[in-house]
Amino acid sequence: MATKNVLDTVAKKFIQIGLPKDLFERNRFNLLVDRNKIIVRYPAPGVRSEVIETPTGVKTKVYVEPGTKLEEPVTLCFGAAETTEVQTTEGEIVVGEGADVKFQVYGAMAEGIKLKHKNKLKVRVEKNARFEFLDLHYNGEDTFVELDTETDAYIGENAYFRSVFKQTRGRAGKVRIVLKAQVDKKGVAVFETKMIGKKDDEIYVEDVIHLNGEESRGISKSRIIAVDETKATFVGETYGNAPRCRGHIDCSEVIRGKDVTVKAVPVVVVNDETAKVTHEAAIGSIDKKQLETLMARGLTEDEAVDVIVQGMLR
Amino acid sequence: MVPILTVNDVKLTIDGRPILKGVNLVVNEGEIHAVLGPNGAGKSTLASLIMGINDLKEPDSGEIIFQDKLVNGLDITERAKLGITLAWQEPARFEGITVEEYLKLSGRNNPELDVVECLELVGLDCSYLNRFVDDTLSGGERKRVELASVLAMRPKLAVLDEPDSGIDFASMEDIANMIKTMRDRGTTVLMITHREEIAEIADRATLMCDGKVVQTGNPKDVGQKFKTMCVKCEVRNPELVGGE
Repeated sequence: MATKNVLDTVAKKFIQIGLPKDLFERNRFNLLVDRNKIIVRYPAPGVRSEVIETPTGVKTKVYVEPGTKLEEPVTLCFGAAETTEVQTTEGEIVVGEGADVKFQVYGAMAEGIKLKHKNKLKVRVEKNARFEFLDLHYNGEDTFVELDTETDAYIGENAYFRSVFKQTRGRAGKVRIVLKAQVDKKGVAVFETKMIGKKDDEIYVEDVIHLNGEESRGISKSRIIAVDETKATFVGETYGNAPRCRGHIDCSEVIRGKDVTVKAVPVVVVNDETAKVTHEAAIGSIDKKQLETLMARGLTEDEAVDVIVQGMLR
Repeated sequence: MVPILTVNDVKLTIDGRPILKGVNLVVNEGEIHAVLGPNGAGKSTLASLIMGINDLKEPDSGEIIFQDKLVNGLDITERAKLGITLAWQEPARFEGITVEEYLKLSGRNNPELDVVECLELVGLDCSYLNRFVDDTLSGGERKRVELASVLAMRPKLAVLDEPDSGIDFASMEDIANMIKTMRDRGTTVLMITHREEIAEIADRATLMCDGKVVQTGNPKDVGQKFKTMCVKCEVRNPELVGGE
């Protein structure tokens, strides 16, 4: 575990790129990792974990005891405060039967660093459990991250899993996000991605939901704001494989800039006559009426765009 | 009476079709002024020109003067900073923006802003503060939030485009009261409508038809003329317009 000085240095760099100060002031972290060093580790009730430092990152195993219900989120941070070449994180999360927990995970890449971050995560949400995984990314404006993250999730009977990937600050960099879910009977999977790409950022998001259980549900939602020369692709695949399952893909991407390329690819496959999977996709510039409404209240065009974009990314 | 807004012989053609054919209008400071007329009369286009929205920054000819300043060519923000705002017939919906945030943005230059009071004045309670200004609000609720945002901004001139549309009959009185409150708090109101019942709350009214002003005066007289002549004609009535 690191000394207070190390924690203060990391805190300073992460707060600089927008991480809430309160997280550090009130020691909110259950786990704080700077590249491959564990800085803070503090257990949450009902949550067992194993964290191993590796040469380039960490491996974590988390087990939420059955029936555990936590009002406060389990707060984790995987970041990089100094320039490094590669960071790799591997994780496995099992949420036991009937548990109800929320994980708030901060990805913090300090100002000015260039980094390749690879992440693999396996999630298993057992019967009747409820699990929310909020993955909040903070990058500096001069940070460039190549992020490659894959999540494989199994959602058990009557279980609920919501995964939100949100890039809140700075440049997206070069990003590949793949989320896959197998959903059992009456289970629910909700995938949400909210990102903003600037300059020559490249964003690729792929959500794949297999609705395998009767009356299972799946929602895949993306909000990507592409600015300057950003290239962004969203692929949403939902497979309705079971009786009375329901799926929906909702992608709404905003472009702002002449050299932006945005592609939305919804794939809808239904293998059961009582299943229903729908999709809606919209790509366009900022809604003119929204813009004019805010300008008519005295905001400049840039201020109005910022308000609208931040609302979409919320 | 001090004019706050003067529209002088404004003409506008869109896609080769004349929409406004020399509109003259004076709105006095502190009044509710209704602009009444059938669909297609040019009322909403006039409202757009006053606010500078829908790419209508200036007419082909004529002048729009706000408090002695020519606003032709100014962008929307510049007009808003002068003290003009507009409430849309079908207000925009915003993903991820709460009612409280929306009202605070609208009233950010109003030192006396009280968002709860603004909501109460439009018949909504403080439970709406955390609601999003998106599709989860009904049409009527969204309309009320829009009027609350005008109250929050406290502009010198509020252009209300069809504030009564989509509002059920029972709520009409509420809307009328909100508009009166706006005026009582120092905002001059220019209200676009095609319903003479709501126009009756105005201090003065103007009847428009086929891109021209037909009559300005007492709302009852103007409403009567609208009811007996304009509504019947539906389409352009050369005799009516000729009688200007």
